[in-house]
Amino acid sequence: MSKEAPLSVSERQFILEALRQDARLDGRGPDQFRPLSITFGEEYGHVKLQLGKTSLVVRISAEVTQPRDDRPFDGLFQINLELSAMGSPAWENGRSNDLEAYATHVLDSVVRRSNALDTESLCILKGVSCWSIRADVHVLDFDGNLTDAACIAIMTGLQHFRRPDAVVKDGQVIVYGVEERVPVALNITHKPLSVTFNSYNDGKNIIVDATLKEEQASEGELVIGINNGGDVCFVSKFSGAPVDAMEVVVKSNVALEKVKDINTKMEKAMQADLAKRAKKGMADLSRAENDR
Amino acid sequence: MVGPTASLSTLNRADGSASYKCPATGYDVLGAVNGPIELPARRDALKPEDATVEVFVKPGNTTAGVGERYVEGILRSVLGKVILGRERGFPRRGVVITLAIVGGDAVERGDSYLTILPALLHTSLLALLSAAVPLSMTFSATLLGVTKSGEIMPDLSAADAKTAVSRHVLAFSSKNHLLLNESEGRFDFNTWEQVRERALSICQELTMPGSDGDVAMGDESDGSKVDGFVRETVEDRLRRDYTWKIDS
Amino acid sequence: MSTPLILLPGDEVPSNHLPSTKSNPLKLGSGVRLLSQPSTNSAASSHVLTASQAGILTTDAKRNTVSLQSFSNRRYIPTTNDLIIAQIHHSSIDYFHCIVTPHTAQALLGQLSFEGATKKTRPMLNRGDLVYARVSSVGLGAGAEVEITCVNPATGKAEPGGLGPLTGGMVFDISTGFAARLIRASSSSADHGDAIDGLVVLSELGKKLESSGGFEIAVGRNGKVWVDCSAAGDTAIKSTIAIGRCLQSTDDNNLNTTDQKKLVTKVLREMKLSS
Repeated sequence: MSKEAPLSVSERQFILEALRQDARLDGRGPDQFRPLSITFGEEYGHVKLQLGKTSLVVRISAEVTQPRDDRPFDGLFQINLELSAMGSPAWENGRSNDLEAYATHVLDSVVRRSNALDTESLCILKGVSCWSIRADVHVLDFDGNLTDAACIAIMTGLQHFRRPDAVVKDGQVIVYGVEERVPVALNITHKPLSVTFNSYNDGKNIIVDATLKEEQASEGELVIGINNGGDVCFVSKFSGAPVDAMEVVVKSNVALEKVKDINTKMEKAMQADLAKRAKKGMADLSRAENDR
Repeated sequence: MVGPTASLSTLNRADGSASYKCPATGYDVLGAVNGPIELPARRDALKPEDATVEVFVKPGNTTAGVGERYVEGILRSVLGKVILGRERGFPRRGVVITLAIVGGDAVERGDSYLTILPALLHTSLLALLSAAVPLSMTFSATLLGVTKSGEIMPDLSAADAKTAVSRHVLAFSSKNHLLLNESEGRFDFNTWEQVRERALSICQELTMPGSDGDVAMGDESDGSKVDGFVRETVEDRLRRDYTWKIDS
Repeated sequence: MSTPLILLPGDEVPSNHLPSTKSNPLKLGSGVRLLSQPSTNSAASSHVLTASQAGILTTDAKRNTVSLQSFSNRRYIPTTNDLIIAQIHHSSIDYFHCIVTPHTAQALLGQLSFEGATKKTRPMLNRGDLVYARVSSVGLGAGAEVEITCVNPATGKAEPGGLGPLTGGMVFDISTGFAARLIRASSSSADHGDAIDGLVVLSELGKKLESSGGFEIAVGRNGKVWVDCSAAGDTAIKSTIAIGRCLQSTDDNNLNTTDQKKLVTKVLREMKLSS
């Protein structure tokens, strides 16, 4: 039960032959993402993302905790991805698989270790207390390109999330409720996203945002993590057939274009949602606090 | 009082799925059912003639712990009784039910899991219906709290549940049999008897099963009545799936 | 049918909805089961039919059957005489072991269960090859094995036509409910013109792609459609993709007949297959 059903010979040959003719099963071009939809739940940092038939929910949460001994000025940030049988019958509940480990590694590198979230700003009182931010990824439907979809959703969530305000008074940490003080946004230093490329036919065809069937037919993949400014923060040629070095350079440009495009969409969706929240007014805001 | 909202077959990959939102507690639960499928590790379970039911509860923003395992046990025993695991294609296979709490506050470690239990039960039922897993009956569940003054409160919020002296989750089958009773806190037998009656009337102020079957379900079932609401959700989806048939 | 009767598990099937022919016994389809009820009233019938899944009650007076049609995305459970598309997983001395639905036990296909197959002429199928087959038996009891065949044992022919290995082409995944509709639609008279089960997508595609060579199609009840346009020459790949997109979109969005026609025109234009 731990593996997706293998592709049949016919399917594999067809996908490869179609790509030779620059055709994909859903009629997309090689550098085209599937339709992306980002919506938000009731709480801050609750993102529902749909990329074609891949869909997931990301929830961001914060709690006050003690910083690590070796990093007294730093807050904590953790990305938690657990694949359950909901996303695909091939995934067994409560047991991790290769995809989970791989996706976690990519997300960790692109979002956390590139310091997209400024963890120093999460410090409340040196060595005593800090914020711990947690991103939980729930995969609802898996149809390929899990990492890019999760990356977009986490970055959206981090920008959308508001944590309660906290101050230090006479050595005491006071956390204010949402109705006492306006909750604060997290400090985002840059907006990196991952773009996954899959290669076919000895590297002659390279596509973005592969579906599950396309991923299964792929000979190798290349992941590039890049931000709006064009700074590459992650490159991984993790497995499969080799890719020409020049392709990595060429594809970095494609990735940059995609990231700019997605970040614009993300910004739009978020502004629309925040405007809607502002309209709803304080009444709702305080109700949200009561629920807490 | 706003009734719960739900929709069926919301996911693509799972064999059956449902999303369920309970307004009183704010919980938003997604359920997925896969079955019948092969469970490699547990092929020859204790009952080889029966299907194995697996339940997995995934909290929204914490790691699963003891509380989840505990509630999984409750769900497994209730659902195991309702699922007809001996129907064709099911013996020795597994029915895997995955429930993700995608909205609402996390149940803090050590806090009562009863507040979310009705939502989990309803989501599982709807997802099982969506996957067309054979069931002997449907059921409905409700959460009631008893205050210090001995008053029985329906539609508890998470905060109400904390202040209540005792909390009770009761589930009744569509034939009005008591399927599940989980109680917490201090209460005496008389209180429980009152709670049971109240819960039964909440779960059952519903379309009467069977007798109601041939009447086209209309406005008679309002959302807060749990069983009627299950029926409504199922009918909505079936009508949508079969528009081609109904219209012609 | 104007007001469909929708039942939930545990609901009794009202007896006035059952086919009334008394001559031959009533056959129970999926989702309906017979319960004997110890009744106090001796005059009442001691058996009741109850639903075991949610669905629309469907009766067939001609064949005297009653069943419940449930949601379309459910998992396929092998039933005798269903046509399916199976994928070879591995072979043993006597059998090919085939995947019918992912993550369930493999079905057995006899090495000689093909038209005209003998020990010397049997097809050599490898892992990943596809066959169009009929479910010949589902066995009894727990852990029984599903057997499938590509030949009618009575005649030795590949009946119904088209059974056997599927080479080339492409397989698209669809819901099991849609697969059942497609089978009914394509098996009833092909040039019927009218929509069968609310489906015109296939006949519409057939009309539009006829000039370029047409296409072959095989629908498996297990939620798979095999499409091959190799007769179309240069546009084979594009035509196949177009057909797959039309079928999946009709399934996903539950399109009505007008929208199906619009979709076919739109997709064919997008794929540059029609003017």
